[in-house]
Amino acid sequence: MRQLSLIDIAGGLVVIAILALAPVLISSNYLTGVLTVCVIYGIWAASWDFMSGLTGRENFGHSLFIGTGAYTAGFLSSIWTANPWYSLPLGVVVAVAFSILVGFPTLRLRGPYFALAMLSTSAILQRLCLIFWEYTGGEEGIYGLDPLMKTPLYYYWFALGILAVTVIVLTLLARSHWGLLLRAIRGDEATCQAAGINVTFYKIVSLMISAGFAGLGGALYAHYQLQVSPPLFSVVVSITVIIMVYVGGIGSIYGAAVAAILLTLLTEMLRGFGEYRLWIYTLTLMMILFFLPNGLIAPLWRRMTERLR
Amino acid sequence: MLQILIYGAVSSAIYAMLAVGFTLIFGVARILNLAHGSFYALGAYSAYVLTSVLNVPLLIAAPLAVLIVAGFGVLMERYLVRPLRASQLAVLMITLAVSLAVEQALFITFGSEYRNVPSFVADKLTIGGVDIGGQRLLALVMGVLVLLLLWLFIQRTRLGAAILAVSQDPEAAQYMGIPTNRIFSIVMAISAGTAALAGILVSPFLTVQPTMGLLPMVKAFAIVIVGGLGSIPGSIIASLILGYSETIVAYLISTSWTELVSLVAVVVTLMIRPAGIRAAF
Repeated sequence: MRQLSLIDIAGGLVVIAILALAPVLISSNYLTGVLTVCVIYGIWAASWDFMSGLTGRENFGHSLFIGTGAYTAGFLSSIWTANPWYSLPLGVVVAVAFSILVGFPTLRLRGPYFALAMLSTSAILQRLCLIFWEYTGGEEGIYGLDPLMKTPLYYYWFALGILAVTVIVLTLLARSHWGLLLRAIRGDEATCQAAGINVTFYKIVSLMISAGFAGLGGALYAHYQLQVSPPLFSVVVSITVIIMVYVGGIGSIYGAAVAAILLTLLTEMLRGFGEYRLWIYTLTLMMILFFLPNGLIAPLWRRMTERLR
Repeated sequence: MLQILIYGAVSSAIYAMLAVGFTLIFGVARILNLAHGSFYALGAYSAYVLTSVLNVPLLIAAPLAVLIVAGFGVLMERYLVRPLRASQLAVLMITLAVSLAVEQALFITFGSEYRNVPSFVADKLTIGGVDIGGQRLLALVMGVLVLLLLWLFIQRTRLGAAILAVSQDPEAAQYMGIPTNRIFSIVMAISAGTAALAGILVSPFLTVQPTMGLLPMVKAFAIVIVGGLGSIPGSIIASLILGYSETIVAYLISTSWTELVSLVAVVVTLMIRPAGIRAAF
């Protein structure tokens, strides 16, 4: 992976500045809301990319971590009426706990076990939310969470700050010795193992990190919507996140975050298509798989800035 | 007691029909088909359209629906999966995309409300004091029959021998003059067809709606993992284990907990015997 250059940092700062100023320049609650969702999707996509993009172990149930983070916030705020700020760290803890539960038995193994287990676990948890409706509110979910901030604008800035921290932390990790090991695992797991690297340990810890950020994003989302409901666990959420990472360029992290923001905005614009929206999404995925296997955002950025380095 | 025995057998048969197709296409073509659940849903919906909209008699509609779905499976394998076969991840992605596309297409055309498919047999039977719907019994009988035929087909015919050869070593099979790609198409047709048949058989007594494929597919994953990926006898035994444990849990505790059975089974299998029960043979 090439060195982080000044132009990358400048580009990042410009993007953050545009995102921070957009709702001030165009003062509309609608835009602020949409951008908050964009930013939260950015956190989810970047966290997916850290584990699956770097190690090549595809996670088909990221919604498991998103949903558990959000439901933790829901239970905490509505049932035990605790201080709403507890829900962010606790959402992280619960999501990480689930990542150990699924990751420990499956990441030791080769083959598609991890992908299948993630997909199954998220699907079953969604089902359990409906079955144990006395506790989870069933189809309607849990209502009436407390907002964390006074105005939506402050909350948006807060979420944007968390996205920035997420991307910076994950990028630094990905560029460290640690990230090099993860990429080496993607390249050739057997060789890594032969070189004395505890492959399983690295994979599980990277899944825990990924789950932690996803859970944080989930709790943030819960406090934005002020409600949580079973579709948070759905396969659709997982696949949406995966499509975002693919569009961004797998393994790049910043590309995933930018693609998540752009695609969420695009989805808002496609709202007129109503129920055809997901179709358009799925078709996008198929096109990308066939024609742009390296993604769009990260390769584009690299090409654009090639001269300036 | 007898009730558990019969109902467990019915759900085992349905699970086995789903799991065998899933494990077959993985074992032969190394395709992990996340669209397997949509074959099941498409089977049920094709039967619904043929019987309730086009008024085709049920006995003609059912085989026709199986053929339609098998054709769909073959087309999917040929035009979407085969160009991407080099990468396992791309195959997973494309099949997941297909399953979502199918689910959305069903949702857009039929809406989310439940649809009804007429029963093949309306009578209720009483076996040893236990009432059981004839349709469930039919599902059991058909399931056993299909698995038996499949076994005979693979073990006793030339084509079956070719399928086994490809599953052991596709390249060597190709050198021996076996048309590997055609074998993949045939296996995909069988896999999609059995899943569709399972969907048709359960449609009269379970709900027919766009998302109906997801959960049975998750069960099929669980069975295939417990049975050992790619192993047909393993997945049949695992279907029996899972079908019966779910029925027992439903009777002894409550139906709410049945969904957890497969999850626990998967976790336990992966912890203590990742190769599945196949390793015992």
